[in-house]
Amino acid sequence: MLQLRELQKTFFAGTPNEVRALRGVSLQIEEGSFVTVIGTNGSGKSTLLNAVAGSFFVDGGAIAIAGRDVTRWPEHRRAAMIGRVFQNPFSGTAPTMTVAENLALAARRGLGRGLGSLLPARLQNELRDRVATLNMQLETRMHNPIGTLSGGQRQALTLLMATWLRPDVLLLDEHTAALDPKSADQIVRLTERIVSQHRLTTLMVTHSMQQAATLGDRIVMMNQGSVLADYAGTLRSHVRAEDLVRRFDEIRRDEQLDASAAEMLRENYV
Amino acid sequence: MNLLLSAWTIGLILSLLALGVYISYRVFKFADITADGSITFGAAVAASMLTHGRHPLAASGAAFVAGALAGICTGVLHTRFKINQLLSGILVMTALYSINLHVMGQSNLPLLSATTLATYAQDLGRWISGHDSAMLLGWPVSTRDLGSLLLAAAIVLVIALILWLFFKTNLGSAMRASGDNEQMIRALGVSVENMIVIGLAISNGLVAFAGALLAQYQGFADVQMGIGMIVWGLASVIIGRALIGSDSVGAALTGTILGSVLFRLIIALALRWGLNPNDLKLVTAIFVFGALVLPAAMQKVRRHAAAS
Repeated sequence: MLQLRELQKTFFAGTPNEVRALRGVSLQIEEGSFVTVIGTNGSGKSTLLNAVAGSFFVDGGAIAIAGRDVTRWPEHRRAAMIGRVFQNPFSGTAPTMTVAENLALAARRGLGRGLGSLLPARLQNELRDRVATLNMQLETRMHNPIGTLSGGQRQALTLLMATWLRPDVLLLDEHTAALDPKSADQIVRLTERIVSQHRLTTLMVTHSMQQAATLGDRIVMMNQGSVLADYAGTLRSHVRAEDLVRRFDEIRRDEQLDASAAEMLRENYV
Repeated sequence: MNLLLSAWTIGLILSLLALGVYISYRVFKFADITADGSITFGAAVAASMLTHGRHPLAASGAAFVAGALAGICTGVLHTRFKINQLLSGILVMTALYSINLHVMGQSNLPLLSATTLATYAQDLGRWISGHDSAMLLGWPVSTRDLGSLLLAAAIVLVIALILWLFFKTNLGSAMRASGDNEQMIRALGVSVENMIVIGLAISNGLVAFAGALLAQYQGFADVQMGIGMIVWGLASVIIGRALIGSDSVGAALTGTILGSVLFRLIIALALRWGLNPNDLKLVTAIFVFGALVLPAAMQKVRRHAAAS
């Protein structure tokens, strides 16, 4: 379970570039729930994910994972409870290290790292078996540098790495956005399979209304650093991609209205 | 022949420095100038202990520990106090200059009457040849030079093997990943800060150990001996990369050692053919500049050629 209470974050505070990225976001995500987060650019959806992961500390509010308050935990300590896949396929793997080495590093997420061998024979077999379940023929390339693989292949492996040890929370940050349509589709199906197989508590940021409407059991819509709408339960089951798009158009119109109203007021009164 | 023998020996001793630079510069992409100070620090600590009659192995081991401490200082300045990499190294290197003078008590400490690893090397050489002088490929060489070369080769071999094994462990792999993709290894629960501190400790420990061996081989420690050593190490690492051209750990370690020996041989020959020793650092710097710039320039030329 993931609990977010009144999260506040302002970047570049006190400068002309000040951005209030999170303005009191509260969410409670139940164990095993798969939540998709959508929103316009700059709505704070990626910031929300990074706040949970601990890429920075929030200015206010609290974050609890599986009942433990992690608000002041540094990123690498939280990693024991969190699996992450990034938007950029290059972000999730160490390019000059081999496929097997990358996976073996992930197999010790959150555990101590001593002078034991990274790749004992028993682990190597397990790695090969689980890579074979991806059906991408990568099990024959275990000792190639992972940097020689395609973006889609690397993203599939990153997904496997993030969930190698069952995470309390899985964070997916637009993890198909940088892929070609075919690879993106492949990763979406893999995501569905892995999440449902392990019943993972998942928070997935996406640009695609289609993905938001078809994946997961709850949709959170963000705008200007706050939660604008939260579709859960029966409400969620009736939402279609067109509804989400229409809702976004409404927001955009409202914002344009704000701007044009301000313009009008300024012309008349200032 | 003696010239070649001594070039080989110094090349091997300095390959430990190069391995240290490999860890900071290649594994962590950290241009760690502390090396200039820690090689002298190692020489100073070892020389000081040797003149006080300590065992050469104890003195060399202490040099490693001293260098590791210097590396930890640089690492902590960078990771905890958020001081720029280069500046962290410069601060520690500068501080070490005073410390080295204190350790030695004077700016040059001769080891003429002390028992050092070189004494053992001479015994080794004499034991192998059975005489005071030996023949190598038909050339007469001193047993001290022969023994030193063999001892240096054995030490480098053992240390390279230990490093190779280390980089295959969980800790060593986490270090490699820290340099390769910081974001990824953080997400896998590793404190990149800790990795940098440990990595710089090992790196500077090796550099200081090289300093201790060099002092014993040449028979003195000098407070100026570290100047420009980081560039020397970089040159070796770069030559090694060009020689082997693979990113695997074993290849990189082998390449670095070969690079150091080859570079020393080139320098020895250049000096023999009349290169002014005063120009040595200038030539080294120009060489490293060329090695850093050429690959990109070559690629540009090639792309140009392909386009036209």
